[in-house]
Amino acid sequence: MNNFRHAQAKASRGAGTLAAALWILLLHTTATAADDAVTPRASDGHPDLSGTWDNGAGIDFVKPVQIGASICVRGCAQNPQPSQRGDRPTYQPEFVASVKDLEERQVQEDTVLRCFAPGVPRIGPPDKIVQTPNEIIFLYDDYAGNFFRIVPVDGRPHRTDVEPGFLGDAIGWWEDDTLVVESINFNDQTWLTDDGSFHTTNLRVIERIRRDGETLEWLATAYDPEVLQEPWQLRPRIAHLTDQEIVEAPPCIERDLDQMVDDTHHDNVR
Amino acid sequence: MNYKSLAAGVLSLLWSAPWALAHHSLLAQFNADSAIELTGIIMDMDWINPHSYIYLDVADEDGNVVTWHLEALPTAMLRKAGLTKAMMIGDGQPVTVLIHTARNGNKTLGYILKITYADGHYYQLAEV
Repeated sequence: MNNFRHAQAKASRGAGTLAAALWILLLHTTATAADDAVTPRASDGHPDLSGTWDNGAGIDFVKPVQIGASICVRGCAQNPQPSQRGDRPTYQPEFVASVKDLEERQVQEDTVLRCFAPGVPRIGPPDKIVQTPNEIIFLYDDYAGNFFRIVPVDGRPHRTDVEPGFLGDAIGWWEDDTLVVESINFNDQTWLTDDGSFHTTNLRVIERIRRDGETLEWLATAYDPEVLQEPWQLRPRIAHLTDQEIVEAPPCIERDLDQMVDDTHHDNVR
Repeated sequence: MNYKSLAAGVLSLLWSAPWALAHHSLLAQFNADSAIELTGIIMDMDWINPHSYIYLDVADEDGNVVTWHLEALPTAMLRKAGLTKAMMIGDGQPVTVLIHTARNGNKTLGYILKITYADGHYYQLAEV
């Protein structure tokens, strides 16, 4: 058995080295092609953000690898490693205990685990963007369902005739070639991350989206001065133009929670 | 299909792998420090979120067939890899599935790490 596993490991290492080399070559080729791509312009002169954008299934480390007829979705040496935890907001001292308490009860309290919309900015970059001169539509193909956000860019103010929601109310404007989106009017049922990072209904989120050829950069900052020590800027997310169209999301039917034997954290980063 | 050929479908306890804990998100449900291998026939798949489920018929040494409920990745991740429900179900031939077993005592519940089909191709869904 040991000899077999040793031989298997040796063969695996050899194959892994070759595959890793091919993967690096592919990444380099892809990056070069993307670097050379021209950023398209809309008729109004702004960058055209329209397109379907691969952000790793909402989690930017999901980058499957095809090996012949086989596919490694996650867990192979060639797959990128998951983002490290630590990208977390900082709370005012009097709220630290509340966050810790929620984190310890995450499987009971995190509404995303029950198929609710993940909120903003937790939902991440849009999976598809449809741009018109007056408004830009964000479409999401999320585990919890298909979601949309309408972002007016024609100077309209925030709406005052809608109830607070999971994804808030958005307006946008252009700063040079960057689309800036401001969202407010959130409910307080979502978290900023999967670790108890609650927010109030006064949450305000600024997203900055910039296209460079076939790459989309998404930056987001959450402002909630009632509870946060300082504005929280998420790590940048990079999405790539893809021809893999989004589809109708299958139903989100939660079956896991009754199977859990304790409150061990259930990762749900996005 | 010949279930007799699938006798003793639960093959073995393969290994203990504490490193698998590192990025596993389902520690409250499954024994992520060990895995077993099943051989059986995929009968159906629930193409749902937040986790998909595969139904695997496994025969014991007496030929009695038990249906395992095997949790897998969300459909969004599977689609990102170009996988479809039909690809996951396969062609009705026996498959070998590496799984974590359930912590709640359910003897026919598991979490799929890797499926290997009769012709040798595989889909790996988690660190093994």
